Amino acid sequence: MIGFLSLFHREIARFLKVLVQTIVTPAVSSALYLLVFGVSLGSTVQSQNGVDYLAFLIPGLMMMGLLNNAFQNSSSSIVNSKYTGELEDLRVVPLSHHQIIIAMGLAAMVRGLVVALVTFVVGSVFYAIVHGGFIGLHSVFELIYFIVTGGLVFGMLGLSAAFYAKSFDQLSAVSAFILLPLTYLGGVFISIQNLSPFWQKVSTLNPLLYFINGLRHAILGVSDIPIGQSMLISALGLVMFYVLSLFALKRGNFHRW
Amino acid sequence: MTAPLEVSNVKKTYTSPKLGAVDAVKGVSFEIRPGEIYGLLGPNGAGKTTLISMITTLENPSEGDIKVFGESTQTNSAFTKKQIGVVPQEIVTQGFFNLVEILQFHSGYYGVWNNKERIDYLLKRLGLWEHKHKLVKQLSGGMKRRLMIAKALVHKPKLLLLDEPTAGVDLELRTSLWEFVRDLQKEGISILLTTHYLQEAEALCERVGIISKGSLVFNGETQGIIRKLTRRTVEMDLKSIPNWTLPEGVQLLGQRENRVTFSTPSEMSVGALLAGLSIPSDLLLDLKTREGSLEEAFLNVVQKGASL
Repeated sequence: MIGFLSLFHREIARFLKVLVQTIVTPAVSSALYLLVFGVSLGSTVQSQNGVDYLAFLIPGLMMMGLLNNAFQNSSSSIVNSKYTGELEDLRVVPLSHHQIIIAMGLAAMVRGLVVALVTFVVGSVFYAIVHGGFIGLHSVFELIYFIVTGGLVFGMLGLSAAFYAKSFDQLSAVSAFILLPLTYLGGVFISIQNLSPFWQKVSTLNPLLYFINGLRHAILGVSDIPIGQSMLISALGLVMFYVLSLFALKRGNFHRW
Repeated sequence: MTAPLEVSNVKKTYTSPKLGAVDAVKGVSFEIRPGEIYGLLGPNGAGKTTLISMITTLENPSEGDIKVFGESTQTNSAFTKKQIGVVPQEIVTQGFFNLVEILQFHSGYYGVWNNKERIDYLLKRLGLWEHKHKLVKQLSGGMKRRLMIAKALVHKPKLLLLDEPTAGVDLELRTSLWEFVRDLQKEGISILLTTHYLQEAEALCERVGIISKGSLVFNGETQGIIRKLTRRTVEMDLKSIPNWTLPEGVQLLGQRENRVTFSTPSEMSVGALLAGLSIPSDLLLDLKTREGSLEEAFLNVVQKGASL
């Protein structure tokens, strides 16, 4: 247990050492999205899922920040460790694969959670300025559920991708060509109800849609996807990426680049 | 008493599309006795680091087994990893944390939460106390090496693996590190050492193994290999040069006026040499001997392929 806590502590300490890069920059980015799309253009955009556009945008941006930062945290930690040789340390010390996956996954979730919380606070301030009230919370259980599953799934995805990556470029490609398009097309900015039936069907293949709509339901009580379905797919994602991470650690290379 | 390390017929084969199957380690067997310093010697690329990587489980053996204090590294790595401290050949740079943080986290990985006393001791003992709040990149090469050693010792291992710990380190620091290694041995830690400084291996190691092209070509007492594979040089200053017949195994290396130099088998005593040459003691003005070294024995094995 001490080994697990030490790695978890180290991973948290690591991103806190570079706070501007890991928390402030993503938070500023979310704030700009909220300002430009939510506050400035929000009044010209029709309501989505029957709610005001600024309110609609806040949970989407929260989940976007959470997933991206969870992925970045574990993947950059592993890739940096490959450069410095620390990854060899991780293999040599008596930590099990389960301990490594859970510690790194949880730390990734914590970083994502901090970014999501900052986004929520900034969004709430904008909402209060524009509408003179506060955004409510539909379900605390759902909020915790989707934050934990989303953070862990993308933390583990980052860990697996970094283990398999043979260079920074390969990891950047995963981020730029897979994660980013899926995030933007996963219902952060618009409800998929605005799409044609064909593209609505295609969108349901995007796993991020379930996390984003799950969090939106937790906060606003509205979603494109039935909440039970979002919960089930998130849980399946958790199991799938846990197995993928275990496989990556068993088969992956701990040697330095 | 259980051996700290038993390596039994270990093989490691790498396969690559270009080179096919390459045998990096070919059936190596040796053991380390409790409390000894064992030197694993060999030229670059001989397989020393691969062997150490297999002991630490960074690599898995293709065949054979490695036991640490009686437990297999393959089936009970949780136990074996706790017994081992390893100083890798290449420095781990760790950019985010200072020395104290690095040692605290490393202690934690081994299940030691509050390890301040040990960390303070190691930082002071290894001359890093004044630098404890620095990042690794702010340290000199020698300090980085010492940090690697502190990391390896932070959880009080019973078996220490030192892979070229003094590579690129200046003489003063090397001397102090070897002194520290001797102190560790006195504390009962068993040590596996790889080094290119054969003089130091000779001084430190009771036994050595010589590995060449993946095979262990010698495993035994350090003095044993020196005696077996090197010769003694005997230089005499004589009042006059008598007539002599060289005894069997003795060679005349040189003669300048009344100074003669012989090469003798290591096991031949000086008395036997004098008797064999029929040199009366009153002719002898001065006599110097120089024993063979581990370096000579090593070169005889690795370069000249001397049989053992």
